[in-house]
Order: sequence, then structure tokens, then C-alpha cells
Amino acid sequence: EDEEKTGRPHRPLSPKQNVRKNLDFEPLSTTALILEDRPANLPAKPAEEAQKHRQQYEEMVVQAKKRELKEAQKRKKQLEERCKLEDSIGNAVLTWNNEILPNWETMCCSRKVRELWWQGIPPSVRGKVWSLAIGNELNITHELYDICLARAKEKWRSLSMGGAEVEGEDAGFSAADREASLELIKLDISRTFPSLCIFQQGGPYHDTLHSILGAYTCYRPDVGYVQGMSFIAAVLILNLDTADAFIAFSNLLNKPCQMAFFRVDHGLMLTYFAAFEVFFEENLPKLFAHFKKNNVTPDIYLIDWIFTLYSKSLPLDLACRVWDVFCRDGEEFLFRTALGILKLFEDVLTKMDFIHIAQFLTKLPEDLPSEEFFTSIAAIQMQSRNKKWAQVKRMLIFDNK
Amino acid sequence: SFQSSDFLFKFLVIGNAGTGKSCLLHQFIEKKFKDDSNHTIGVEFGSKIVNVGGKYVKLQIWDTAGQERFRSVTRSYYRGAAGALLVYDITSRETYNALTNWLTDARMLASQNIVIILCGNKKDLDADREVTFLEASRFAQENELMFLETSALTGENVEEAFVQCARKILNKIESGELDPERMGSGIQYGDAALRQLRSPRRAQAQSAQECGC
Repeated sequence: EDEEKTGRPHRPLSPKQNVRKNLDFEPLSTTALILEDRPANLPAKPAEEAQKHRQQYEEMVVQAKKRELKEAQKRKKQLEERCKLEDSIGNAVLTWNNEILPNWETMCCSRKVRELWWQGIPPSVRGKVWSLAIGNELNITHELYDICLARAKEKWRSLSMGGAEVEGEDAGFSAADREASLELIKLDISRTFPSLCIFQQGGPYHDTLHSILGAYTCYRPDVGYVQGMSFIAAVLILNLDTADAFIAFSNLLNKPCQMAFFRVDHGLMLTYFAAFEVFFEENLPKLFAHFKKNNVTPDIYLIDWIFTLYSKSLPLDLACRVWDVFCRDGEEFLFRTALGILKLFEDVLTKMDFIHIAQFLTKLPEDLPSEEFFTSIAAIQMQSRNKKWAQVKRMLIFDNK
Repeated sequence: SFQSSDFLFKFLVIGNAGTGKSCLLHQFIEKKFKDDSNHTIGVEFGSKIVNVGGKYVKLQIWDTAGQERFRSVTRSYYRGAAGALLVYDITSRETYNALTNWLTDARMLASQNIVIILCGNKKDLDADREVTFLEASRFAQENELMFLETSALTGENVEEAFVQCARKILNKIESGELDPERMGSGIQYGDAALRQLRSPRRAQAQSAQECGC
């Protein structure tokens, strides 16, 4: 037996060739070994054993062929699905470009557009749709961006030359604060989507990200640079030209929810968390009770999600789809997404204790299934006792006053 | 893998942005350097069971955001912490100068008996050093802190920082200086200790329930 396994064939032999002739399939060498004859210096295989081996070999080949066929079918199905997806993206691009975008004001709220929107905006029109949906309440022009950027550059220069005081509306902030904030921007840029390798020193978008964040600190010295902003700016840069990205960035941060968080207005943040908990209890009462029992408060996971608009915690393609609907539905969709995540993982979370829940939610699994994810979000009702998100929030703000 | 523990300690990792807090935690838990790390927004978590002089201690570690602006948020996480790693970067005097502020917060907001170990991180970057070992060690003595220089990159002194801090807390429990049963001590009995306290029959049911946690 031992020799049979290790022995190597000295001459090509007919049984193997016969089998090969019958099959258009090349078996793996190890499966073929069983057919080899014993070396010449050993007695030949008994006919019975040779027959048995041939049979075993043929069975193996049949199995292997079956597997191959199955895989081929799977590949074909995947290809078909991809073609279908690409077709539907292609169609969507046409619809967005030819029908929706030219008639934005009248069409953006129609049922048909809202449904198409939910499916995800095709990457080629995504930036345009985001810009339109975010709007430009602040009336920022490209010229204003250039002015802010020029001022930022001036500051960087003066600080690097030894830091003469720069006068202006931000005089209330010490030079040390400003320098710390500029240093932090530099540090954080290198830590923004590090795996993409495009925002890091030497990467193609390093300077763009630096410029937008710098310009913003000059545009809004009262807010300044806050961690989390670099992720938002980076996602916008991936979808828009620099000045348009700056306009969208500034307007996005000017929304009430983003202002509350980026100003780190703790009281107002707690109000948002309280509103979130109202819908949490309504949608997922069992998990809500489990979290209460284990002292898992919403700030633990929501802060990262809200500050970065999920771009740090979700895979980028999913995060962009969340942004799509966030642009459509506003802040309430951020909290709906959070509930969707909790719903998707409700079963595992219910079995975990405090530390495991906290670890899980601050570092979500990397292979989130995108369709299930959005189905889960869709199943979340943003209605509590006939009250919508905005009403619940308003009531809670009123209560706090 | 399931390992029962005698105690559970809540630990904080605090200090300025970019000093390597999350990298220290990652090195401690995964035994490797995380070179594509993000910045922490809010708080992240880690946990690990360490053997300290024959006792198993589960560390529940809260790794906080470093930016000054987040201070009002991270302050709310101090309550009930038994130990803390206070981290600065030996190549940045600014992060060293901020230590007093961090220390005041920790002493005021965490448990009164909080055990703090000062970690001068990035020890591997000795050529760019801005803070000497001597002055930091003097600062530590004046403020009753333990002190180590660490490197999240090479792993030097990382495990030691966490374990020494845990050992000091255990010593305080044994000497009676710390009472684990006092509210807000940041200490809880682990499942192993709880089993000993309960009657054998209940203990069995309990251990079956707790498996896999």
C-alpha cells in the first residue's frame, strides 16, 4: 500500500489514457495518482483492485465535473446579475441626467424620483444630486472659497514663520489654539481613509482635503476644525470639484443637527439622543430594554456615526448610499440608519454584555450585506404615537428649556 | 476563548490627539502595531483578561477621543474608572504640557482612588524627543503617578503599562485601601469570584449561563 502511494510511474499506461480519451476534463494530478500502475520492480495490481481504482477515479471525475458545472452556473448568474445591475445603473443615469436634474425643483419630491433615489444614486450624478439636495443657503460662491483659502494659506505661512498674530474676527482665539488646530488638521488628514492612500501626504487629494478644511476654519472660525470633519470633506471630494465640495461641506455642517454636534453642544446632543431613544424603544423594544439593563447609552455608538455620517464605520459604498438618502430625508435618516443597524444585528446584540455591544457597535463587521442592510433600514418606522421625528425632537427641546 | 475572571476593572485611555492612545490599545490587545489607524471620534473599546499575580482581571478599556473640543463628551466617560493610562507623546512638548489638565479632570471625575499610569509614548522616536525621561518622571512623582515610556510601534512596555496599573489596584484592594463594593469604584467582581460566593448548585447554573460571554 505504502509503495503504491509514493511510487512514481515509469511508463505511461493505457488505463489512464483510456479514461482521458473519454473525458474532456483534465483531473487534478493527485486524483489521477490512484490510477497509476505500480513501479516495474513491484508485482502489478490485481485486476480487481485496478478495476476498483478505475471506478473510484471515475466517481471522482464525475463529482469534479458536477462541481465545475455548478461553479460555472454560479459565475454565469453573477455575470447576469452584474449586467442587469449595470443596465439599471445605465438607465438610472439617463433618467437622472435627462429627466430629473433639468427639472429638479418640480421633480425632486415626486414619488417616482424618491423611489429611484432610495435605490442609490449612480456615482456619475451623485455629486450633482448631493449639491442640489444640500442646497446653498449660505450663498457661498467660488470666489468666497478662493478668498477663504487664500487667508488660510496666509495663516499657515505666518505660523510657519514663527507666528505673528493675525488680526481678524477670530482674535478671540489664541495663536496657540489656532496652531494646535492647524497641526491637528495635518495629523488627521493622514488618518482619513488611510487604506485608500489618496488623502495621505503625496496622495492625489491630500492638498484638496487640506485646502477645504483650512478654508473652512477661516470661513467659520467660531466652529473651527473638529475631528470627524475630515471624513465628511473627503467623501465630498470624491464626488465633487473642490469649490463645489467646499460649498456642500459648509452648507452641510450648517444644518441644525451637524451644528449641534460639531459645536459639541452637549445639551443639544443629549436631546438628539433622547429623541433617538423614543424611536429605538418604539421599533426595537426588546433590544432597547437589553441596552438599558446593560447601561449601553446611545452616545457610545451614535457620536462616531453622526460626526462622520457613517463614512468611517460603514464600507464606503454603503456610506454613500446612506448619504444619498440622508440628502433626501435629512437628519432623521441618520437616526433611522442607526436603528437599521441595530435591527440588522438585533439577535447577536441581545446575547452580548456591555463591553461586547460597545466593541461591536464601535467597530462594525466589514462585510455588511448591502441589500439586507437597506431592507433593515426600510423596516424602521420613524413614527412614534403619531409623532414624527421633528415633532418628537421639538417636544424634547421644549422640555429642556 | 472563555476565561473566567476574579475582577473587572474599568480603564480609561486619555491624553491629547495623536499621542497614540488607540495604537497602545491595539498593541495591547492584538500584539501588533496598527499603521493605518483612524482618529477616534467619541470613544472606542477594548477588553482583555490579564493574569496579575495569580488573579485573573478583566480590563474593560475606554479609549477616548483626544481633541480638546470633545472634552465635554469624554468627561462623561470618566465616572467609575478604576485605572487610567494618561498618554503623551515624547516628541511633542505640547502634549506633555496638557497633562495637568487631563490629570485634574481624571482626579475630579473618575473614582477618587483612580490609579493612573503616565505613558510617554513613541519611545521608538528617540531622535525627535522633546521631553526627557527625567522631567516626566519627576512630574509623575510629584503627582503620584506611575510612569513608563512606551512604544505602541515596537510593543515595548505596553503590556507592562496596563498590567502595572492593574497590579496597583489589586494591591489596594488587598490592603483594604480600595473597597470593590463601594459604588463608583470602577471595580466589579468577575464571574469566577461570584461563583465562589454563591452556593454550588446556583453556581453551576450561573456558569452555564455565562459561558460564551
